[in-house]
Amino acid sequence: MSAADTAADVPLPARKKRFNRNEVLAALIFVLPFVVVYAVLFIYPTLQMIWLSFHKAPLIGPGTFIGFDNYLKLFKDKLFGVALWNTVYFVILTVVPATMVALAIAVGVNRLKGWMQSLILACFFIPYILPVSVVFRVWGWMFDSQFGILQPLIALVAGDNVPVFRTLPLFMPTVAFITVWWTIGFNILLFIAGLRNISPEIYEAAALDGTPRWRQFTRITWPLIWPITVLVLTIQLIAQFKIFDQVYLFGNGGRSDATMGLVQLIYRSAFQKNNGGYGATVAVVLFLVIVVFSVLQFQMLRARGNK
Amino acid sequence: MKSFLKMAVLSAGLLSTTGLVHAQEVVTWWDFLGGGDGVRMKALIEKFNAENAGKIEIQGTTLEWGTPFYTKVQTSAAIGEGPDVMTYHLSRLPLGVSSGALSEITADEIAAAGLAGSDYADSNWKAAQVDGKQYAIPFDIHSIVLYYNKDMLKAAGLLGDNGLPTGLDGVDNFKAALQKLKDGGAEYGVSIHSAAGDSQWRIFYSLLGQQDGQFLDADGNFLSGDNLDKAVKATTVVADWVKDGLAPAATEYPASIALFTGGKAAMHINGVWEVPTMTDLNAKGELFDWGAIALPTFFDHPATWADSHAFAIPNRVGNEVSPEKRAAVLQVIAWMNKNSLAWADAGHIPAYSPVRDSEEFKTKQPNATYSVLADTAVFDPSSVLAGVASPVYDAAGNYLMPAVNGEIDPQSAMEQMRDDLQGQVE
Repeated sequence: MSAADTAADVPLPARKKRFNRNEVLAALIFVLPFVVVYAVLFIYPTLQMIWLSFHKAPLIGPGTFIGFDNYLKLFKDKLFGVALWNTVYFVILTVVPATMVALAIAVGVNRLKGWMQSLILACFFIPYILPVSVVFRVWGWMFDSQFGILQPLIALVAGDNVPVFRTLPLFMPTVAFITVWWTIGFNILLFIAGLRNISPEIYEAAALDGTPRWRQFTRITWPLIWPITVLVLTIQLIAQFKIFDQVYLFGNGGRSDATMGLVQLIYRSAFQKNNGGYGATVAVVLFLVIVVFSVLQFQMLRARGNK
Repeated sequence: MKSFLKMAVLSAGLLSTTGLVHAQEVVTWWDFLGGGDGVRMKALIEKFNAENAGKIEIQGTTLEWGTPFYTKVQTSAAIGEGPDVMTYHLSRLPLGVSSGALSEITADEIAAAGLAGSDYADSNWKAAQVDGKQYAIPFDIHSIVLYYNKDMLKAAGLLGDNGLPTGLDGVDNFKAALQKLKDGGAEYGVSIHSAAGDSQWRIFYSLLGQQDGQFLDADGNFLSGDNLDKAVKATTVVADWVKDGLAPAATEYPASIALFTGGKAAMHINGVWEVPTMTDLNAKGELFDWGAIALPTFFDHPATWADSHAFAIPNRVGNEVSPEKRAAVLQVIAWMNKNSLAWADAGHIPAYSPVRDSEEFKTKQPNATYSVLADTAVFDPSSVLAGVASPVYDAAGNYLMPAVNGEIDPQSAMEQMRDDLQGQVE
């Protein structure tokens, strides 16, 4: 907005000057490090991966070109279906709850003042700074089927201790719950930033008109932080499609075929079974799934928000 | 993901090569010994470094046992950034060699280090070969044993005059004994690590071996013919303990040990590598009078699953090590074998015959009590699909573990396990 305004205000000759050779050169030099790093560390490996998916190849080293065979194999692979479903299931279990709960907490925290606000915010944010291994240990201990601190509570409800990570129907929901607990701090932070951007004058005007709190939320807060909500949803969607660590750690040694997600299938094919070509194929499919979903979601939500 | 890993391995490699400025040979060592035995291994490495100061220095790193260790070894070998020497399970050797992760150790190198094949049990030495080529030097034989609480067994009348358990042989006898212990006040008769496939595989494979069952036959078929029935029988034995509350369901590894050491379970089936845990606790006065014996005979004859820790040298594609370094590595391996009496403190049975036949080892407890199992040991099938962190181990987690915990019926679990593994045969 502001860039366009200033450009329009500047007289024509001066505008022409913006594109002189020296400046273009300087711009290129400044942009170059990023472009090089991006090309070497992202574009090139991605193209390599797509190329690898057309080969029967070990993880490292040359292979033989087999065209679309890996893709055909993929659609006949029962594990791929399971992994795809588990990934989608996990996304469903985490994305919307993590966004909604974060918004609710952010609205609450935003009402607090001073050090109290900082303290409560810190409490919600601390889990986010923990490495996944710590999260795994902490919740592993709390849910331990023999000595877990949560088991007396579970026994009250279920009648007996429940090994939650070895009970298939409970596995994904529990891991999803832990993931929401773990990562929600970042979403809260984004929402708080958004909430602070809303001018207090709007609320004052609404209060003068006697607007009840709930209507203030639905008519002012919600529409004004819609862009943040879209951002959080999209970030969540991409992050959760790539689910690996938690599921791998909690499921290790157990029924990994029944609990694995797509990234785990990549890991297993490429690293454990040394089948780099097939691993790359799953990776390409996951890449496409994420691109399609996130573009669709972002566009759809943005369109709705503009109305 | 791939490039990231390369970077990570590269930077790790850079860190390790900075040690080269010293005049002495620095041997980078990776192991997966994170249990009670890891402490003993660190002491051995320190002793080696002290004795060889100025000549060879081992820089050891302990990595996560199982799949994480072996995937890291495989990827680092492929780009020449692995360690100079590492511990390796002989059960996994065929898989390791087929994926090109291991470097052959020549007869000349072995002889130059003062070792010989005749220093090892023949089957153990041959298990370190693929197609007649040596890829590893055995270090120990390890297995699972039955740990027991002497007080509780005595109270239940299951302890003989010699201080050893009695009346545990046979499926029904063993179960009756578990019931007696439970009636005597124990929460569980026996504690087992029932939340993972690996530990269950070791018990299962022992029970299969006691019936002369073959998991993988000579024609490359999994659980063929009546082997399937034997496998179902073996699975049912353990599943029955869990079903009747005589053994804990879906219990994690640390909890399974704590149930025993905390006096809630009268017996415990686990690897010999937890002997140091018991020894140390007992020395601190925090553990009751305990013992360990070879697994009872449930079926026709004694047999126990066993594996062997060995030393292997990873391939280093495009980054070969100097002959001096390789000689140093072989010296490390030879020294470790000759000093493996200390390794017996970690519960293991030394692979090196002169140590195993020594008077000191023969009087070392509890090793001496259970070392008979070495004679009837059954090793994992020799296949690229078998061994630690292999498809067979994954399948144990997917089918055997849930069967033990009553989630799948043993018959259908074994059929699914057979079909899954057969489907992975190339």
